[in-house]
Amino acid sequence: MARRALDWLSERLNLTEIFSLLTSYGLFYSELDTRKPLREALAEAAERPAPSYARWPRVLGMIVVVLIGIEIVTGSLLALYYLPTPEAAHASLGTILRDVQFGWLVHQIHFWGAQLLLAVLIVRLLRFLAQRVYRAPRELVWVFAVLLLLVCFHLDLTGRALPMTEGAYWTSIRALEIVGAVPIYGSLALFLLGGAEALISDLTLIRFYTLHVALLPILAVVLIYLHFSTVRRVGLFETRDEPEVAGRLQFRFHVANIAILLAFLMGALASLAVLVPLPFLGPADPYATPPGVGPPWYLLACFGFLELTTGMLPPWLAGGLLFLGFTAFILLPFLDRTRPGAAGRRLMLAGAAAALVIWLGLTLYGARVA
Amino acid sequence: MRRAATGLALALLAAATAVAQGEQCGVCHPQSRVAFDGSIHQGEGVACSDCHGGDPASRELRRAHGGDFRALDDRLQIPALCAECHADLERMRPYNLPVDQYAVYLTSQHGRAIGRGERRAAICSDCHGAHAVLRPSDTDSPVHPRRLADTCGSCHADPELAAEFGLDPRVVEEYRSGVHGQSLAEGGTTAAAGCTSCHGVHGAAPPGFGDVDKVCGGCHVQERRAYLDGPHHAAMRDAGLPECASCHEHHATRRLAPDAIEAMCSDCHGAESEQAREGERIEVVLRTAADEIAAAERLTTQAARTAVHVEDYLSRLEEARTYLTEGLTLVHTVRLASVEEMTRRARSIGEEVQHEIYQKIDRRPAHIGLVLFWFYLVMTVLVITVYKRRLRASGG
Repeated sequence: MARRALDWLSERLNLTEIFSLLTSYGLFYSELDTRKPLREALAEAAERPAPSYARWPRVLGMIVVVLIGIEIVTGSLLALYYLPTPEAAHASLGTILRDVQFGWLVHQIHFWGAQLLLAVLIVRLLRFLAQRVYRAPRELVWVFAVLLLLVCFHLDLTGRALPMTEGAYWTSIRALEIVGAVPIYGSLALFLLGGAEALISDLTLIRFYTLHVALLPILAVVLIYLHFSTVRRVGLFETRDEPEVAGRLQFRFHVANIAILLAFLMGALASLAVLVPLPFLGPADPYATPPGVGPPWYLLACFGFLELTTGMLPPWLAGGLLFLGFTAFILLPFLDRTRPGAAGRRLMLAGAAAALVIWLGLTLYGARVA
Repeated sequence: MRRAATGLALALLAAATAVAQGEQCGVCHPQSRVAFDGSIHQGEGVACSDCHGGDPASRELRRAHGGDFRALDDRLQIPALCAECHADLERMRPYNLPVDQYAVYLTSQHGRAIGRGERRAAICSDCHGAHAVLRPSDTDSPVHPRRLADTCGSCHADPELAAEFGLDPRVVEEYRSGVHGQSLAEGGTTAAAGCTSCHGVHGAAPPGFGDVDKVCGGCHVQERRAYLDGPHHAAMRDAGLPECASCHEHHATRRLAPDAIEAMCSDCHGAESEQAREGERIEVVLRTAADEIAAAERLTTQAARTAVHVEDYLSRLEEARTYLTEGLTLVHTVRLASVEEMTRRARSIGEEVQHEIYQKIDRRPAHIGLVLFWFYLVMTVLVITVYKRRLRASGG
């Protein structure tokens, strides 16, 4: 029955092409001949040896895709009830949490999924650094991965403000202050967001909302597509101690592994949502700052840096250094002049470890100041 | 033409200056003039000469200080001088000021001392200022509620003066350490009792024995009613014991927490007495009610964090707190039954609210759901693992 339906569809649609589009999101790295029927093309691809993807450390890429999928689904559900105006936002979230069936669960999963996504993206970049995955010909893998992380930061940033609770509001203001400290980009972003007054107005909120539900998700999906496109062109990064595993069953194994991964991910998210729920604070008052509100956790390092340099450096210079730091991070593959081989790798590892220590130190300092 | 206009302007200027210079006292007494210009009397048509006499228009020493001039350097004269206007009904009527204050002053300890010729007793200007008299509501006025203790203390906290007149100089510091003084110092309401609230304003005198409950009851109306209703009032008067101050102190007035009640009872009645046991029972019902309300408040905060509507609970807890306050007031009857009637209501509201919130924020269904979900996930993973093993066996 299913086979007949598939054949019927194959005569009318290029299913192979559609499937190849799906594979662009990390489901399947091998090439597909889109001129052949799906079954034939798949059988052919399965013949080719392929490495295991749903295993450490490549599993991180899979988790990113799955988490973004979860965020899109839960986000769409939340958007059915959320009202993006400063007056109604807080009450509408209250409705979601209290009156909508399982609304609280969807909201908590959306929040924890986002935090997990950012954490996974950061760990993934650290892995790229440690194994020097970014070296030619994989420069673009790195660039797209960093850009994806930046887009996800912005997604989280714009999403945090939406509930208009006390904590959300002031966390966003702190984040906007940090963004505003970056020359050129900061003033441009604040101007576009209408948040230059350090106040979230109705215009700011609707812009945050538009960015959060439309522009940034599209950008993220495009970046993931580009990221996996480079991977499909240049192939997966192989380490020496990881021989290629060949076999017809590889793809089915792969799907089974994805299913297991999905199960554990859903379990982790559900546990976080039920056991460590994000509290629903009172509505924000733009004229009363509650004590002890800092920026989001991933901006604590920038916050700490800006606080540390206050009085030492002029603000434009401190912001400029941040900007230079980010730019250098994006362009790392083109700046890394260390030689391939063990010596170069050790040098790079030492540099990366030093950068990590500085980042963690600044984060701790920022957390203490906040 | 231009020259004529200039001449006219100069003439007008000279005329204006002459009018402005009508009162010449400030030329030689600039400090007094400046102080007076900031006072409430300035602008109400009071002139230097109204108090000091003489010729204010003259700059010549002898003419200016001639005629009915008064230097006012004798403190004994001052109260009568102020009374010239302030006891005049016609003059004071537009300001709605009482005109009997001079008469009241004469009955006060200060006024009687002045009558005896005691020059160190307080006169009008000691508290209100001489030239720079301000409204009492003006925060710069020495008699503003927040500055009153300093003003009274400038004499009453002086150990030498106090020793001579047989007074206790510690009272001002004691007052400052009490709830009234603290409330004023911490920027609380200016309605908190100051020196004059109990001792009288112009008729300042210590409240007589047996009048303390009336003085305190002026503000603490309900407490006094409860006190009069209970057995303490008659008993303490008969025994010659201080009333409110027995428990709350005189100047260092203190708020008594419910858990201090039993100790207070034991102080007079002895630790093993029936009264001390009654005190303990009163303490227990009050504390239980307060604990229930506090627990309900904590739960309300917790519930608000999960978006539960808590407005209704908050208003009911407000009601419970009112009952608790009434219960605390009724402690002055020293009767368990009266106190318990209020604390029972407060406690039952607290318990009800807790019960209702517990039902709304119960996380058990979510936790059970989570366990079931994990069970489902583990089973799924097991099935997939078996599937993988079979694949490997058949194909690998």
